[in-house]
Amino acid sequence: MSVIRLERAVFRYAGRPEPALTVERLDVARGELVAVTGPIGSGCSTLLLVASGYAPSITGGTLEGERRIEARRPALVFATPWTQLTGIAHTVLAEVAFGPASDGLPREQVLAAAHAALERLGAHHLASRDPALLSGGELQRVVVAAALAQQPDLLVLDDPAAELDPEAADRLYDLLGDLAREGRTVLVATPDVARAAHVATRALVLERGRIVADGVPASVLSETDVARIARAAGCPGPLPLDVAALVARVAEAG
Amino acid sequence: MGFDVALRGLHFGYGSGPDVLRGVSLDVAAGQVAALLGANGVGKTTLTRLIAGLLRPRAGRISVGDWDVATKRPDEMARRVGYAFQHADQQLFARTVRDDVAFGPRSLGLGEAGVAGVLEELGLSAAAGTHPYDLPAPVRKLVTLAGVLAMDPGVLVLDEPTAGFDLAMRDLVVAAIARRAARGTSVLVVSHDLAFVAEVAGRVVVLRDGLIVADESARRLLSHTATLRAMGLRPPPAAAVGLALNLAGEPVRVAEVVERLRGVRWTPAP
Repeated sequence: MSVIRLERAVFRYAGRPEPALTVERLDVARGELVAVTGPIGSGCSTLLLVASGYAPSITGGTLEGERRIEARRPALVFATPWTQLTGIAHTVLAEVAFGPASDGLPREQVLAAAHAALERLGAHHLASRDPALLSGGELQRVVVAAALAQQPDLLVLDDPAAELDPEAADRLYDLLGDLAREGRTVLVATPDVARAAHVATRALVLERGRIVADGVPASVLSETDVARIARAAGCPGPLPLDVAALVARVAEAG
Repeated sequence: MGFDVALRGLHFGYGSGPDVLRGVSLDVAAGQVAALLGANGVGKTTLTRLIAGLLRPRAGRISVGDWDVATKRPDEMARRVGYAFQHADQQLFARTVRDDVAFGPRSLGLGEAGVAGVLEELGLSAAAGTHPYDLPAPVRKLVTLAGVLAMDPGVLVLDEPTAGFDLAMRDLVVAAIARRAARGTSVLVVSHDLAFVAEVAGRVVVLRDGLIVADESARRLLSHTATLRAMGLRPPPAAAVGLALNLAGEPVRVAEVVERLRGVRWTPAP
């Protein structure tokens, strides 16, 4: 059964007549890790909002068509992590614990969930820090940890590695792969196609609010630096997305 | 007109906490583009805020041209140092993109003649009448950059200017910086995006444990796998292709690698 189903779904933001998103049909199954990509402004963030249930209930606007979300607990990580802090926690641990605490769980379970989430993000050393004084990359890890502490079965992340250093970004994407293998459903919007292609089981490409490609990453993604090199150097498609693939194509060329 | 930026023996810490920066010295000459790298939380943003005069060091001196930053207020510093925050939303407040971009030059008494040109340069003309918060987060970041460029500062300090950008938007920023540098503007960019760094910077500075631990030409550093690995980094894609194929001249930019692959007789993909 699909965790997310959209059918003839059309979403419009309030006050704007033109649709921001039009989806004929989309099914996302449990345990899939779906990379959502496309030119900036093509509707990737909007798709995440609709697919996680935040639009239109939180954002306003209107949604026509069918949407079904079979998730006990979806969690959304915004592209702007500084807008996601509760504003009432004085430590990172309290910030991350806010979600499970809001569920009314016993204190031990709340703390265990928060510690475990920080551990998985490699952010445990930040536990006693003031969230308001974190660097951009530290903050980004904390908001992902806060989402994870809620033990979501559907995790939706909007460019969660934009401000991470390369090692931390690699670790985060590896973690997303682990979460999907644990049976959680993960949607991640990112312009970092090369990194996403390594771990995603499926990729969606959006243009002007519509899904224009949907398949395994290697078959539908084409906007990486390596693909650019290959295209400009005259390599015929499908274009290699990463260094190893390009090197292999050069070797085949002799 | 650009200005030389000189940092000497900078120490800084927040509140009564330990030093985040422990004696940083750095020069960025007029017309130079330097990239500042380092792991999350190492103090890169702190360093940029010191240069912009938004923070004051515990010890050490910062000069921008013949100005001692310690003697200048942040609004005075804005005449020489254009600073784009890491988080664009801290820098946007007007009701339209055009008004936001025009605020800086208007406040400095420079007029608004350059605003349309900067909007055009960054692909924002069509969004000029839009409320900044109706735009995607990466485009808002581009708007803050436009606001900084519209003031035509002699020094550009850009904190993660391409975070979240797709390749087309990154190209716009690379070209905009290159134009300013060619006119003598000194540029310091903080970035984790080594592909962007390779395209834009001639020099790379690495911050770790409050100190500068590497300061080299971008070409040398970005094509040296072992050095990068020791810093938790790896070569950007173009440099990695150059290394893997043993291409001559240590290419680190896309165009350089493409040039060296011109003679390849490609076969269709298997």
